[in-house]
Amino acid sequence: MLLARVEGNVVATRKHPSFEGWRFVICQPIGTDGQAEGTPQIAIDAHGAGMHQQVVISSDGAAARKAVGTEKSPARWLVIGVVDESEPGVRV
Amino acid sequence: MKLGTVIGRVTLSKTLKPLEGGRYLLVSPFSREQFAAGLEAPPRMGNDPSLVVYDDLGGAPGHVIGYIEGREAAQPFDVPPPIDAINAALVDEMFYRPWPG
Repeated sequence: MLLARVEGNVVATRKHPSFEGWRFVICQPIGTDGQAEGTPQIAIDAHGAGMHQQVVISSDGAAARKAVGTEKSPARWLVIGVVDESEPGVRV
Repeated sequence: MKLGTVIGRVTLSKTLKPLEGGRYLLVSPFSREQFAAGLEAPPRMGNDPSLVVYDDLGGAPGHVIGYIEGREAAQPFDVPPPIDAINAALVDEMFYRPWPG
């Protein structure tokens, strides 16, 4: 799992059928200081994460396949949660 | 999934049964700068090494695609073939705004 910041989204008409109806968000992995680390990763998102919101993304393919509802899907990265606080009482 | 520019094709004369009819693309992964430059920017190479991606969507040189790496790439097949990267989306549009900091 990676802490990441949503920095945009991607539109693709032609895609694997299992992604039909899913949102692709561009997630930039970040460190605890909020600075970017590495290249952006595209994740499927069921939570409606907003621009520049911090999220946690997971590379668990089994969970992603369950989410899209078919075992024959290459889905891998998905947004598993939106970050509210970086530590108790400190909103991000 | 990661984004990359298709920079070429790979052709196999002999291939495993589950991969027959498959196409392969040579893909250069997007760097952070390329995300910022957008899809209209002149095509250029990323900083990371290029890779071969299995393709059944019809990607062609010049296209920007979303590819998935890892074991998951073999998941769509009845008999999992020995591939570790698959083209999952042909990117039409991208909205990207880096966090100002």
